[in-house]
Amino acid sequence: MLTIENLTHVYGNGTRALDDVSLTIPKGMFGLLGPNGAGKSTLMRSIATLQTPTSGSIRFGDIDVIREPEKLRRVLGYLPQDFGVYPRVSAYDMLDHMAVLKGIANGRERKDTVTALLHQVNLWPVRGKALAGFSGGMRQRFGIAQALIGNPELIIVDEPTAGLDPEERNRFLNLLAEVGENVVVILSTHIVEDVTDLCPRMAVLAGGKIQLEGAPTDLMHSLEGKVWRRTIDKAELAEFQKRHNVISTRLLGGRTVVHVLSDGHPGDGFERAPGGLEDVYLATVAASRRAA
Amino acid sequence: MFGKIASFEFRYQLRQPAFWVIAIVFGLLAFGAVASPNVSLGSGGNVHKNAPYALAGAHIIFNVFFMLATTAIVANVIARDTQTGFGPLVLSTRITKGAYLYGRFLGAFAAVALCYLSIAIGTLLGTFMPWVDPETIGPLRLGDYAYAYLVFGLTGVFLTSALFFTLATVTRSMMATYIGVVAVLIAYLASTGALGSRPEFETAMAWAEPFGSGAYALVTKYWTAAERNTLNPPLEGVLLWNRVIWTAVGFALLAAAWALYRPSPKGAKLRKQERLKALVETDAPPAAPVGALPRPSYGFRSALTQLVSRTRFEMALVFRSPAWVVLVLLAFAFAVATLFFTGEIYGAPILLVTRVVITALMGTFGLISMVIAIYYSGELVWRDRDRRTHEIVDATPTPDWTFLVPKTLALALVLISTLAVGVLAGVVTQTIKGYTDFEFDKYLFWYVLPQGLSFTLLAVLAIFIQSLSPNKFVGWAIMVVYLISTIVAVNMGFDHVLYRYGAGIGVPLSDMNGTGDFARFNAWTDAYWTAFATLLLVVAWGLWRRGTETRLWPRLKRFPHRLAGPAGLVAGVALVAFVGLGSFIYVNTNVWNDYRSRDAREAEQAAYEKALLRYETTPQPSVAHMQLAMDLRPHQPKLTTRGTYVLENRTDAPLREVHLRWTEDLDMVRLDVEGAAVAREWPEFEYRIYRFAAPMQPGERRTVTFETVLEQRGFRASGNTTRLVDNGTFVNNMEFAPMIGMSRQGLLDDRSKRRKLGLPAELRPAKLEDETARGRNYIGADWTTADITVTTDANQTVVAPGRMVSDVVRGDRRTSRFVTESPVLNFFSVQSAEYERTARMHDGVELVVFHDPDHDRNVPRMLDALAASLDYFQANFSPYQFRQARIVEFPDYASFAQSYPNTFAWSEGLGFITDLSDETKIDYVTYVAAHEFAHQWWAHQVVGSDQQGATALSETLAQYSALMVMEKLYGREQIRRFLKDELDGYLSARGMERLEELPLMRVENQQYIHYQKGGLVMYLLRDQIGEDAVNRALRRVLAQYAFRGAPWPRSLDLVAALRAEAPADKQALITDLFEKITLYDVKITGATATKRADGRWDVAVTVEARKLYADGEGVETEAPLNETFDVGLFTAEPGKGVFDEEDVILLERRPIRSGTQTLRFVVDREPEFAGADPFNKWIDRNSDDNVRPVG
Repeated sequence: MLTIENLTHVYGNGTRALDDVSLTIPKGMFGLLGPNGAGKSTLMRSIATLQTPTSGSIRFGDIDVIREPEKLRRVLGYLPQDFGVYPRVSAYDMLDHMAVLKGIANGRERKDTVTALLHQVNLWPVRGKALAGFSGGMRQRFGIAQALIGNPELIIVDEPTAGLDPEERNRFLNLLAEVGENVVVILSTHIVEDVTDLCPRMAVLAGGKIQLEGAPTDLMHSLEGKVWRRTIDKAELAEFQKRHNVISTRLLGGRTVVHVLSDGHPGDGFERAPGGLEDVYLATVAASRRAA
Repeated sequence: MFGKIASFEFRYQLRQPAFWVIAIVFGLLAFGAVASPNVSLGSGGNVHKNAPYALAGAHIIFNVFFMLATTAIVANVIARDTQTGFGPLVLSTRITKGAYLYGRFLGAFAAVALCYLSIAIGTLLGTFMPWVDPETIGPLRLGDYAYAYLVFGLTGVFLTSALFFTLATVTRSMMATYIGVVAVLIAYLASTGALGSRPEFETAMAWAEPFGSGAYALVTKYWTAAERNTLNPPLEGVLLWNRVIWTAVGFALLAAAWALYRPSPKGAKLRKQERLKALVETDAPPAAPVGALPRPSYGFRSALTQLVSRTRFEMALVFRSPAWVVLVLLAFAFAVATLFFTGEIYGAPILLVTRVVITALMGTFGLISMVIAIYYSGELVWRDRDRRTHEIVDATPTPDWTFLVPKTLALALVLISTLAVGVLAGVVTQTIKGYTDFEFDKYLFWYVLPQGLSFTLLAVLAIFIQSLSPNKFVGWAIMVVYLISTIVAVNMGFDHVLYRYGAGIGVPLSDMNGTGDFARFNAWTDAYWTAFATLLLVVAWGLWRRGTETRLWPRLKRFPHRLAGPAGLVAGVALVAFVGLGSFIYVNTNVWNDYRSRDAREAEQAAYEKALLRYETTPQPSVAHMQLAMDLRPHQPKLTTRGTYVLENRTDAPLREVHLRWTEDLDMVRLDVEGAAVAREWPEFEYRIYRFAAPMQPGERRTVTFETVLEQRGFRASGNTTRLVDNGTFVNNMEFAPMIGMSRQGLLDDRSKRRKLGLPAELRPAKLEDETARGRNYIGADWTTADITVTTDANQTVVAPGRMVSDVVRGDRRTSRFVTESPVLNFFSVQSAEYERTARMHDGVELVVFHDPDHDRNVPRMLDALAASLDYFQANFSPYQFRQARIVEFPDYASFAQSYPNTFAWSEGLGFITDLSDETKIDYVTYVAAHEFAHQWWAHQVVGSDQQGATALSETLAQYSALMVMEKLYGREQIRRFLKDELDGYLSARGMERLEELPLMRVENQQYIHYQKGGLVMYLLRDQIGEDAVNRALRRVLAQYAFRGAPWPRSLDLVAALRAEAPADKQALITDLFEKITLYDVKITGATATKRADGRWDVAVTVEARKLYADGEGVETEAPLNETFDVGLFTAEPGKGVFDEEDVILLERRPIRSGTQTLRFVVDREPEFAGADPFNKWIDRNSDDNVRPVG
């Protein structure tokens, strides 16, 4: 169980990346959804002991993460949003090196670990190739392999599917689904489908604040019957934005499809739209923008 | 379009911080070169700091280092579009490739050119600084600045700009470009270092050296100070062509950039795609979860594994990086090239003994090791961040030290590997040169380990700096500033080992004495700085950047907290060790021994001079006889001397006082003068005046008894004794016994420091006409007899002046007694070491070499040389005054050979390692042996008065004597080659004269005059008046002055003796050679040969000649020439390649006068070459045009 209380982080330039964030994350897959710049990575890095928040507390089980980062690192598996590789180092060597760093000191155990993980992420055939030549998907799979070394109890994956093509993304999510049974897995993403597909619980982070928290199905229920849709000309958009609570616009065949949020029928020729998680997310983000 | 791009680029560059940083740095360097008295670029001596010569020198030299700056500006001109990803946007415009490339280049080059002006500006500002010695600054002449900037500055930066612009544009990699810069830099330094100082390559260098230094050096080769201060060489000939050719190379490189540039980096993209395809991507369903993986552990074992694994990982990353490979290969090539030419003297090679190789490697591999230490500390500390692996790596449970310690360890091992490559370079060169006694123990203990430690300390500092810096560039910049500041600090006199990070006690190397006690002294400072480095590492660890926080403040805040625990313990132990060792070192250097900063030492020298120089001419009694009992403990080291002097008043008036002085390091336990008491004492200067109760009458004798201790307790910060050592003690009497009267020894001699300290700028000897100066000789020692008993360790052999009359071993001590059989100068040495003695009787004289048992290679040659010398000198001068002549080896703590009474102290770094295998080279061993032996006549029998011209009687005549011995042994051809080098040396050295050049007769101990010009003059005179006449004159001098006291002989006496033996038509020549500075210039302007009807050849040779008198500044005036010169016709070129007597068709003396004259000959064979003074016997301003092909 990961407990975050009143976490605030202010960067040197005054940016308030996290603003009094409190969250409780149980075992299983937890989706953290938010637009770019919402503070997701700051939150992930703070949990992963890579930066010290300005105030607030993070506890994982008995571990006070901020005071004893060394202890958390022993149970942590972390896949950052963006990571590089050393030049001229193969996948096998690098994973072996990571295993050393994670404390797998015994040579045979390390070999078992590396072999098993490379098989699991389907990189065994290319183990001898330099990581620098890997595609984005392969690199992310390597990333999850290194995160899994040493049976972590807390796994943090930050924007793992950004930039992957659909096939690679699929492969990656399958992999993730398998590990997230008995440990805490935090999946931070701005892609709603990632959460829909995988996570029994989720939260929306925007503007450094938790805007929404719950099970995706519950959240979708809450919008049941409140989302309305209409296809309009581009020129009309401004007018509609003035009159209605527009949560999303999307181009479709050259015209604009707008979704608005309204308890009752908004008139103007709108029709009821089936509320998906995306609408929940967009509505939340839109609300937070208006509040800001 | 083109203009717009160029001007946009120019303005862009001017906005970059790099531009201003570079301008300021180079401006400061140039400013410092002028404003600091300790730095000079091309100036020095009488050459002003802003002389055209110095300005040209600065503009040439800075080009080399400016390469880095040039690259910082021009390299990213195109490459930045690729880096920033902005390239496709630019390339999609309608801009043409030419306009894009050259517009950008022009703009950037304009910025570089502007930036290079900082050197002129810095110099200019420096000349106006109030503290700069005005004597070193000439008038402001902006034209000189313009010349230097346009001819050398602009063309040089154009070449480097074009080169690195092209390299960067083609490779589009800053890394590749910087490797290119380093490669060019090192290749440049290596080739100029190896070839630049060798005269046979000077013409090649003049063409090939890209910045014009070779051409400039050739054109200004024999320029005097006056010329260097006022002239810019005309832009013509090799200088012009050098600049034109290299500028053309720049344009060619730019053209290549156009040809090789590809607008879109398709190639690279394509390759990546293909690589990806090659990676087998089977879409098999992911394997089932593997279940529980092994659990991590966090004990000692784990830590050790991490340490080893991390270290190997870090090392592999260095070893695999192209930069390391390039650096090391370059260092290797540089080292081999340098070693190949190491230690040649007069073109005579030396054996590449390991000690010599190590000394050379410390120079060549030092720079590279330093670059590696600093560069890779930045790379290693920042690598995870640069490669963006830091988030993954930092989130692992490894403790912080497993980052820091392996990086440090890896760097240390990388440095040691680099040094090992140096050893390989040494061994390879040794093998090439045919020396196979590799002595790997010396490589390891004298080179790899000490240097490895020293560079590791530097690396630790760099790691520490990097862990505090906001990025690695700042860290590197701080390190560079640090390195420069250390050099400046030492130059300013802040040189104590206790505050110079990583500094050690100097460890001079000797094959006789190993590393002596010095390595032990140095171990203390090594330990001291290692403790400090450990502290730095703990701090670096405490402030280690982990995670994404890069600001220093949060890390500083948690620092105290982190020190609680083992780290604090380590820091505590290190701190205690640092303070403890520091205190111990302080006690050694400052309590047991004297430490003074350079300024303090100089102030004391000045005070000494002010207080006591006035006694220099005070008449003093002489030591007529001395009896010494010396007790030498070589391993302590300690020398106790008990002695008695018999003083004699050899003046013609009563003496009321005797002045006694001794050296600072000597402890005077007791000093009594018969019938005298201390009248005045300067304890700080070790100087006492004793006043006689009853004045000493002429001819009267008194005794002085004394006891001294020469000892070093502990060690000093610098200047540890190299005189009293375990094996190879070499002390002279001034070091262990009191001296009579004041002398100029040990006075400050730097002109500007003298003036600053209120002393006259220079102390010059008395004028030749000053008769009063004849009361003293220039060595400051009168004739005496000696009876010396020395006790040393039983396994050592002692050599002291005179003949050994007894040698007794009692227990582990040996006592030897030496008695002089003929008067000797009160200036002698005592040597003691574990010698092997190789002797030979020759003509009733015992010739001996005392040498290290392993240094027997050239001993037979030394004995041969002594024998040949003895034969010539006894036959032509006078009988030898002793029954032994002894060469005694001493450790290579100094590189000289010196003649003491019947003894020649000879450094192990000279003749003992000369490689005599090539018989076409000068036999340096014989030359030195003959020269030193000749001093037994020319110094130890006839010694000049203490005034101008003194050394003409000793050094010039020893030089002549040695030349004659060499000629008898090897023939004239070798002497000609030798003299050609001497002529070159003389002509170059006179340009660097500090005071004024003087005629040989008035030489003021100027080496290029008494050795080089002296040898040339005597050999020419021998050629003109004959060997017999010269030797008759020398016998005359000996008969008149040998072993006589005051009045001592002058150079005038030598000249008079030569005049007496020379015919009337050579008197003017003697005037020119001895009494004036005379230069000749003979050249052949045309030579034709026509076949006659009778099959013989009519030859016409046109000779142009002039004679010049120069004044002390080098200003020349022409004078009528009327001498007889050798004129010859040859079938091969004399002085080049194979040339023997058969190649001489005709060689005769012809009168040559000023101006042009045509000489006609009829000869039997067709000549290939004609020459006037073909063998360079005369002091010819240009000796290369004396021979010319016929046709």
